[in-house]
Amino acid sequence: MAENFNRPALVVVIGVLGFLVAISFNTTKQLTTAHPERASDLASVVRDLENQRTELQERLADLRSDMDVLEAGAAESAGMSDSYSRELDQARLAAGLSGVTGPGVEILLGDGGDVAVDGDPNDYLIHDTDITAVVNALMAAGAEAVEVNGERVVATTPIRCAGTTVLVNSARLGSPYVILAVGDPGALEAAALDDPVASLLFTAYKTQYGLQAEVTQADEIVIEPYKGTFRPQYLLSEQGGQG
Amino acid sequence: MFVLVLALALGIALGLLTNVSIPAALLTYLGVAVLAAMDACLGGVKAALEQTFDDKAFVSGFITNTLMAAFIVFVGDRIGVRELYLAAVVAFGVRLFDNLATVRNLLFHRWGWE
Repeated sequence: MAENFNRPALVVVIGVLGFLVAISFNTTKQLTTAHPERASDLASVVRDLENQRTELQERLADLRSDMDVLEAGAAESAGMSDSYSRELDQARLAAGLSGVTGPGVEILLGDGGDVAVDGDPNDYLIHDTDITAVVNALMAAGAEAVEVNGERVVATTPIRCAGTTVLVNSARLGSPYVILAVGDPGALEAAALDDPVASLLFTAYKTQYGLQAEVTQADEIVIEPYKGTFRPQYLLSEQGGQG
Repeated sequence: MFVLVLALALGIALGLLTNVSIPAALLTYLGVAVLAAMDACLGGVKAALEQTFDDKAFVSGFITNTLMAAFIVFVGDRIGVRELYLAAVVAFGVRLFDNLATVRNLLFHRWGWE
C-alpha cells in the first residue's frame, strides 16, 4: 500500500521542490542582508564630514581673498606689468575661480508630480544624467560659465548620482535644480531645447511625468566662483614642451 | 510517505548547504516555479492515493505547467503588466488547496477515520 507513494518521479520532484524553496530562502536572505543598519551610522559620518567641508571651504575663500591682496601687492612692489596681472585674471576667469556675470539662460529642472499607479517612481525624478545632458548641451553651445544650484561647473567637476541626491563638485544637491549659464541666450536656449537627450525633459517627460522644466533667457546672470580646491597629485605642467 | 518527507528535507538541505542564490530580478520566476512544484507534488500524492499515478502524465504535467507559468511571467514583464504572474499564482493556488482537500479525505479514508 504505502509503496504507492515512492514513485521515483514524485520523489525527484519533491526533492526539486525542497531545493527551489532553499534557493528562494538563500536569495531573500542575501537581499535583506545587503542593506545593513550601518547605513545610518555612515549617514552621520557623512554629515560630520560635510560640515567640516563647509568650514574648510569658508577658510579657503578667506585665504583666496588674502592671496588676491598679496598678489596685487607683490605685483605692484615688484613693478610687474599690467599684462601679467591681466593674464592672472584671465586664468582665474577660465578656471572658474572668479564670480562672473553676463547674459545667459536660467534652466529650472524639478521632480515630477504623483507617480501613476503602475508607474516607475524613477521616471518622475530628475537624474544626474538629465543634468549632465543639459550642462553638456549648454557647454556645446558655447556657454562660458555654468553653475548648478550655486556649484560652479569647472574642468574637474563630477556630476553624478548619490542616492536620492545629485553630487556636483562635492555638494549634494536636491530638486529643484537651477542651472545658470552665461553665453548667447538665444543659442543656449536653442541648444537645451534641441539636444536629443535634454530636449526630452522639456517635452515628453514634462507632459508625461509632470517634471518641472523651464528655460528662461536673462540679461544678467550671476554665477558663483568655484568653491572647491585644486590639489593635483599626479599633474605636472609640461615644461619646455611645444608652444 | 517517509521517503517523500526525506526527499523534501534532502532537497532543502542541499539548497541551503550549497547556498545557491539567483538574481533578484528572477525571484518571481522562482516563486512561480516553487508553486508549480508544490502543485505537482500534491497532485502526484493525490494520484498515488487514487491509484491513478502515471509517470508520464506526472512529469510532463510538471514540466509544461512550469514552462507555461514562466512564460506568463515573461510576457507580463515584456508588456509592462508585471501582475500577470498572479494568473499563474491563483491557478496553482486554487488547485493546490483543491488537491489538499482531496488528499486529506483520501488519507482519512485510508486510515479508516471516516
